[in-house]
This record gives sequence, C-alpha cells and structure tokens, in this order.
Amino acid sequence: MFKNFIDSILNWFRSLFWKQEMELTLVGLQNSGKTTLSGQFAEDMIPTVGFNMKKVTKGNVTIKLWDIGGQPRFRGMWERYCRGVNAIVYVVDAADHEKFEQSKQALQDLINKPPLMKIPLLVVANKNDLPNAASIDEIIDTFELKAITGREVCCYSISAKNSSGGIKIWRQDLTINIYLLNRSGSVNGSTLLNH
Amino acid sequence: MGRFEKKDDDEYEYPFEHLDKGQVVQEKRVFNDTQIHPRKCSFVISEFLYLLARGDTFTKTEATDVFFAATKLFQSKDIPLRRMTYLLLKEFSTISQDAIIVTSSLIKDMSHKIELYRANSIRILCKIIDASSLPQLERHFKQSIVEKDPHVSSAALVSSIHLLRVAPDTVKRWANEVQEAISNKSNMVQYHALALLHRIKQHDRLAVTKLVSSLIRGSLRSPYAQCYLIRCAVEVIEETNTEDRTFYDYIESCLRNRNEMVAYEAARSICSLKNASLKELTSAVGILQLFLSSSKPTLRFAAVRTLNKLAQTNPLAVVPCNLDMENLISDSNRSIATLAITTLLKIGNESNVERLIKQISNFLGDINDEFKIVVVESITMLSVKFPKKFKHLIIFLNKILRDEGSLQLKQTTLDAILNVVNHIPESKEIALNELCDFIEDCEYPDLSVQILHLLGQEGPLTSSPSKYIRYIYNRISLDSGTIRAAAVTSIAKFGLLYEPMRQKVVILIQRCLLDEDDEVRDRATLYLRLFKEDNIKLLGRILLDDVHVPMLNLQRSLETYLESPAAEPFDISKVSTVIEAHSPVLGDKGSSKPSSTANTPKAMSLAGSDKPAAATGQSAQEAYAAQLAAISNFATYGKLLKSSELVELTETETEYVVSCVKHVFQEHLVFQFNVTNTLNDQLLENVYVKMVPSNSKLVKYEFHLLIESLPYGEPHSCYVSVRIPPGAYPTLSFTNMLKFKVREVDPSTGEPDEGGFDEQYNIEDLEVVPKDYMLRAVCPNFQEEWKRLPEDIQSIQTFGLVSIKNIDDAIKEIIKTLSMAPCEKSEVAQPKANKHILYLSGRFVNGTAVLTRARMKIDGSGQSVDVELTVKSEDEIINEFVSSAFA
Repeated sequence: MFKNFIDSILNWFRSLFWKQEMELTLVGLQNSGKTTLSGQFAEDMIPTVGFNMKKVTKGNVTIKLWDIGGQPRFRGMWERYCRGVNAIVYVVDAADHEKFEQSKQALQDLINKPPLMKIPLLVVANKNDLPNAASIDEIIDTFELKAITGREVCCYSISAKNSSGGIKIWRQDLTINIYLLNRSGSVNGSTLLNH
Repeated sequence: MGRFEKKDDDEYEYPFEHLDKGQVVQEKRVFNDTQIHPRKCSFVISEFLYLLARGDTFTKTEATDVFFAATKLFQSKDIPLRRMTYLLLKEFSTISQDAIIVTSSLIKDMSHKIELYRANSIRILCKIIDASSLPQLERHFKQSIVEKDPHVSSAALVSSIHLLRVAPDTVKRWANEVQEAISNKSNMVQYHALALLHRIKQHDRLAVTKLVSSLIRGSLRSPYAQCYLIRCAVEVIEETNTEDRTFYDYIESCLRNRNEMVAYEAARSICSLKNASLKELTSAVGILQLFLSSSKPTLRFAAVRTLNKLAQTNPLAVVPCNLDMENLISDSNRSIATLAITTLLKIGNESNVERLIKQISNFLGDINDEFKIVVVESITMLSVKFPKKFKHLIIFLNKILRDEGSLQLKQTTLDAILNVVNHIPESKEIALNELCDFIEDCEYPDLSVQILHLLGQEGPLTSSPSKYIRYIYNRISLDSGTIRAAAVTSIAKFGLLYEPMRQKVVILIQRCLLDEDDEVRDRATLYLRLFKEDNIKLLGRILLDDVHVPMLNLQRSLETYLESPAAEPFDISKVSTVIEAHSPVLGDKGSSKPSSTANTPKAMSLAGSDKPAAATGQSAQEAYAAQLAAISNFATYGKLLKSSELVELTETETEYVVSCVKHVFQEHLVFQFNVTNTLNDQLLENVYVKMVPSNSKLVKYEFHLLIESLPYGEPHSCYVSVRIPPGAYPTLSFTNMLKFKVREVDPSTGEPDEGGFDEQYNIEDLEVVPKDYMLRAVCPNFQEEWKRLPEDIQSIQTFGLVSIKNIDDAIKEIIKTLSMAPCEKSEVAQPKANKHILYLSGRFVNGTAVLTRARMKIDGSGQSVDVELTVKSEDEIINEFVSSAFA
C-alpha cells in the first residue's frame, strides 16, 4: 500500500521531468505517403482534401501531427500550419523520380519563408521498399540537403507501408545505417528523439 | 476582463456592447496555443459571432486568418468548444479563402460517433463543397439522410436543399433515400424530406403530381409537412388545371385538422385559389371565422389578414364574418384592429361607413404608416363604391395628411384625395378648401407643388375663386423657390380663367418681379407681359395646353439632342408619341397632362413605378448599344434599332455554351454570339461562328470579328455582320458552326500547351423572324388609334394554336411571337374564360406604329385555341409581314 503510494509519487516526478509535447507538420507533394505515415493505412487511400489532425501518445511523449494535403491547391496553405511547430516533416516519394524536381522546388519555397526560419527539417524519403526507389544519398544530393543552413536537417529513408527496406538515417554530417526488420513503419516519438 | 464587469444592477451593461473588431481579431491567437483552453476559445468565438451578427464586416485576409486559426481547434476533444468551432467555421466559410481546407476533417466528423459532430459537420460541408468533389461524399450523404437521429437527418436534408443549387444532378440521385426519410418519426425530418423531394422533382410537373397524390393518401403526421403538402397540392391544382377533385378534397379535409396551423394553411390556400367557387370558400371562411374569436393574437391576425385579402376579390364570401370583425375593431392589437376595419370597409354597406371611419379615426395615432397606407387604400376604394359619402372620406383623408407621417404615406393620401376629386365632382370644393389649409403647413415641397397645380387648375372654376388666392399668395411670401414658382403659375391661371380677378392677379404678379429666384422672376415677367398685351390665346397655350408627347420620351429626345452637336433647333414634333416600355396604361388624369413643372414629381413617380421587366429591357438595349458603339467596325452602321432577347444555341450544360443576340441596324444585321468555354483544360483561340443562310440572295456577308483567346469560364463575344438591302426586312434561317483552335491546358498550372488543333462544334440553327424587327411600345389610347388606322389595308388571318388549351397560354404565346406590348390590360383574361380579345401595340424598326387585335376562342374539342389576328398600320407590307409570324 505504502509502496504503491511511493511509486506513484516517483512516477509523477519522472513524468514532470520527461514530459514532452511535440508538434509536427507533415507536408510534401500529393501521393508521397503523408497520411499513411501518420498511421492511417488502407489499400484505397483517397487524397487528403484539406488536413488531418492526429495526436499520438507514447509514454510521456505526446505528438500532435498536422497532415496537410499535397495537391497544388493546398500548397499555399502549408505555411500556415508550419509556423511555430517543433519540426517540419517533408515527405518525398523516393520511387517517383519524375517528381523530384517539382518536390524540391516546393520544399525550397516552403523553407525560404521567413516565419519558418530555424525550424528543424526532417526529410522522409518514403517507399524505400519499392525496387526503383532512390537511395538516401541520391535524395540528399538531388534535394541538396547539405546546402541547407540555419536549421537542423535530417533525412530518413523509410517505408511507411512495410519496413522490408529498413531505415536509413542521415544527420547533417554523419550517416548511420540501421537495418530493422518487422517494425512498424510509423515514425514515433522515441525514434525521432533518440537521434 | 474589464469590460465584463457589471456596474450597477439598474445600469446593466451588455457584455459585448463595446466590442472592438480589431481587438477581437487579435484575440484569435488563443486558438494557436499549444494547450487549448476550451472556455477561453469558446468565449472568443462568441465574440466573433457577435461581431458578425452586429453587421461588422471582415476583409478577405482577416476572415481567412480567423478561419485558419480556428481550424487548429480540431485538435481539442471538448464537445462544447467543437460546437462553437462549427458555428464559426460555418459563418466564415463564405468570406474566407480556401475554406476547402477543412473538408477532410469534416468528412471524418460526418462519421463520428457523437451526433452533434455528424449533424454540424454536414451543415458546414454543404457551404464549402463544389460540384466536382461532391460525388466523393455521396455515400456519406445518403447514409446521413436515412439516419434515425433527427438532427443528423435534418442537417443532411437541409444541406441537400442548398446543394441542389450547386450540384443538382448529384442530389437528384438521392431521391430514394429522401423518400425513406419522409417516414422518419420526427416532424422536422418529415417536413425537410418533403421539401427536398419536392424541389428535386420541381421541374417535372408529372412527377410532382404523382408525389402529391401518393402522399395525400398516406399518413403524413408532421403538421409542418402537412402544411407543405397543402401548398404542393395548390401548385398542382393551379398549374395543371386538373379536373381531379382529390387534391381539392385533401385540402378541404385539412380544414378539419386538429392542428390550427394546418387548418389555417388549408383555409388560406382555398382563399387563394384562383377559381374557388363561393361554396368552396364558405367552408374555408367558416374556419377563419372560428379563428377570429381565438384567444391567440397570431391566429386572429392570420385570419383577419387572409379575410382582408379575400375581401378584395370576393367581398361576398367574407360577409358572414361581419359580426366577428366588428368585435375586433376594439382589439388591443392595433394591427388586427386595422385589418378588421379595412376589411369591413371593403364589404360594408353605405349605412355603416360613417361609423367605421369614425372608429378608425379614434386610434389612428396608434398605428404605423404602413398600416395607414392600407387604410388609405381601402378608403379610396370606398369612394368609388359610395360616392355620397365623399365628405367624410375627404375629411378623414385630410386628417391623415395633416398628422405626422412619411412622404410615402402623404403621397398615397394625396393621390387618394385627387382620385376622389376626379371621381366625384361635388367633392371638389371641400377637397380644395382642406388642401389649402394643408399647404399652409406642409413639410414636403413635392406635395405643395402638386397641390398648387391642382388649385390653379380647378380653383378658378369653383363658385368663389377669390378665396383661394390668399392661400396661394401666402406661399409666395413664405416658401422656397420651387414652391413660389408653382404658386406664380397657379395665380396666373386664376387671372386667365376667371376674368373678374384678372386685374388683381396682375398686381400680385407684379410683386414677384423682384423675387430672388430666377425661375419665379422669369415666370412673373412672362405672364405679366402677356396679360398686359392681352394675348390671352398664347397665355392659355402656355398655361393650360398639354405637351403632346409623354414626358419620358421628351426627356430622352432632349438628351440625344444635347449629345449630338446639331445645328438645327430641337423639333418637338419629332418626339415619339408612343410610350416605350410596356408600363400599364397611364389612366390617371393628372399624369397625362404634364403641362408644367408642377407635374414633374408626379410624372417621375410614375416613371419609377414601371414594371422592372420593362426597365431592364430598356437598359439591356441601351447596354447593347453602348457595347456595339465601342467597336469601331460598327461605327458607320447608325443607330441600333432593335436587339432581340438572348437565344440559346446550345444546352446550358454542354462543353461550350453559345447564345446569340440579333441586332438590327438600318442596313445591317449583326449577330452577337456569347461563347463560354466550360472546360478548364482547354484554351480556345480564334473563335468564330460560321453562318450559312437559307437564302443567300437576301443577305450579303460583310465580315466577322473573332475572339482571339477564350480561356475557361470567361464569356466573350464574337460577331457576324451581314448587309440587308435598304428598306427590306428579310426573314431567314441560318445553320451555324462554332469554329476554333483548341490548346490543351494543365488545370493545375494554367499553362497552355504549344501547338493545338482546329476543331468545330455544332450549334443550333438561328432564325430571323418578324418579331426581331418589332419594338414593344404601349399605345395610351388604343381604341382611338385603332379606329384611325386605315381598314382597307389591314391584314386579317385566322389560325389555330395547336396544343394550347387555355386562354392564358394563348395570350402568352401570341405576345411572345409578336414581341409587342399588351394594351388596355388585355393581357389578363377572366378566370376560366373560353374567349378573349387581346390588344397589342408596337413600333416597327422603321418607326411605323403597328397595332394588332387578336380575338381568340377555345376550340370546341378543347384541344386548341382559334385565333383571328388583325394587324393594322399605315403600311400594307408591314401588316402582311407582321402577320406572317404565324404563317
């Protein structure tokens, strides 16, 4: 009885120290897999008309995810949802080489907006389970991620649908390759925080 | 918050009384907090809603900022806050940009487990969704319509009514679900479902008839739905002229419904039926009579208002309620009392008129101007019915005139008095005396001027003209310039018409020579000179003779004259005497005598009362004239004689929508094609219409003007011009082909591809018919003009209008085919008539006045209408040409 009480007090203290709230915005061209990445997956996904809001709680960490539609008519509204967030997650369809140029332009337009200065950027190269998917290095080069200054930049190569391709992570000047099998593809708080 | 504090108990301040928009817009930042505070946010939302209700407006940027900030509130799970959020989003969705951003979130809420979410999200969705994205949501909508929860179902039904305007084809597919919703237990849902179903079938008369006849057999419980069904039944009866009694029987059965609203609706509907018989009316009036003694003021008001309306068309049917309405005269609700009295006046007999008028006078001060106008109007009717009572009527009207009141009320009252004077010559002196008193203290110069004009006209012919002079001269010493000028003219008339006073009049006018107003001095000088020269003939012409042309035409001719730098003086004989615009015949005596400034306000007010259709017709023609004048190619064509109404050459839902206006010039016809490209993935270039005439000898192609670039959604015009021989008015038909070059466009970027290809598109044939050369023009005295025109060259032909089964439709058809203006109110036939005579007048583009008389009769079999059409004008060729419209 008494021990339980002590435990709960201890837990409460721990939660005070470790409690973390994060707000992330998922953007990227249409069909890059943002909604799937936020944890909803179905075979017949319909394009997001507008945005989806999702809250994820893992342990002491709560993440608010704003998943914004990628169709051209929504791109002008990305900025409104990126202001003041902890990180911008930019999702790229790594298997759709033709769209790279367009996607890069949209990314440049977004991060050059003055209100979004210094907000950390995470580029997620999605769909690495597909055979023709670009490698993480190709993505880094094509999107010239190394040239981005003034903010933290990070790139993950993943598959939101199945993790057969494993996860590769690049962080500014060191590259780690982690191969994980049988893991849920969704990005969750702890993975992001540990790096 | 400081402004939230309560001061004193007796000095209570509304919390939002001094709300400032700028400050509230700042407060929206609470929506962006990481931790949402539901109460704080709800409060700010209330402030926004209050601002909107108060009439504050938000710029597009402000509204968009507010809207997007509010979308952040979707993260909160607090139910009351979500409800407020919905309200805010709904109100701002129409002023904000990119409101579609919430679509996805709302679709999710449409299938949320909380009903409040489902119902409200639907109501916002219908405001932001467009026709192209609706099919994606069809499944959700159908589901919500048949849902058991009444709030959700009603929300879906009402939203569908709104969506019917946006995407009619999609919504029409939901008819089965809507039909199912009619059997929902909730009163509200039944009503909404019926309303939607009726609107879905609206354009299909047969379907509406079927719907109504199936429902009147069924058992609709909801009183709202029953009321709606009664209205639908009325619609069926009026539109189909059905002999089937079931619809009427249903309405009659509703008279006995226990619900008062339904019983009233049934009674009202029967009273409004065009062809209701006295027997049918009796039962309806019986119900209304019961309501007259109800304890509920709303019921009494509704009943007496309906009876009042009925008394206008069918006073006999209202007589049984006489006694009940007498009791209502002392009703504490003044609106009810007024309506009761005016109804009684309409049905009353000579003996109680005096008493009724006295009773109204007692509480006249308690009712507002609007109802006073109702009273004045019924008094006017009374004067025609009971001419002997003029004295009481005039005194009563004068009382209204002298009390405080709006210009509109006073104008109506003055018109009423003038009406009485015109109808009952005996009333003249007493009316003039009263009016003299009135102008002593009249706040509206317009009215003073009218009265002074009347005094000048009628005063000299009374038994003792001299007594009016003092009143008129008082105006000269006390009033403003306009009134003084009218008074001088008025006095001069006394001198002219009543010789014994001429010397005194001259002295009075002499005193005006030093007036500070130019107009007054000018008039005085002129009249004085003529009096001194004893030039009574000229004076008479100036003071009494009418201008022989309608004021409007004179005004227009003068304007045209001033625009063109002509050297020759203005010639009044060239002003058209036909009243253009199909305003009702100007029967009022005052208006047809626009002889001096005194009458201008009158003429103006009549011009203002023209039917709006005429006004738009006129302005459309003027707009076209301006539009064409701006194109240099047409500069040499002269005056635009006539523009036809818009002719659709395609269906409205096709890829390219084309309509045409035919313009007639002296020696040219110009076809203006308005083309709209409805494909957002195409840019059209070099668009023109290739026209092939049926008879190429009659016209000669001149040139065409093409549309260089026709982007999606913007209508543009291209033109084809042909030459016609002078003095010829060919009837023709053309086969047409729309020709253009297509360039593909990426809808996302709006950039057209290179290249492109030529394409053509079939559009319907176009005809040039006699009515394209005819202008509507009202002839004020049709019968005289008809007698004057030569009979030996008139054209008579008889023909049958096949498949037209009643007189009303025949009248419409003939007016439409000839494009002429109806005269003598002959466009309205007696109800249920089987024969009728229609008089039409018009002006041919060459200026010839044309009159037609159409005698019609329903054929013995009832399947067609026989018509004898006589066309008269001074030109035999035109007569034949006009009647060829029916060949």
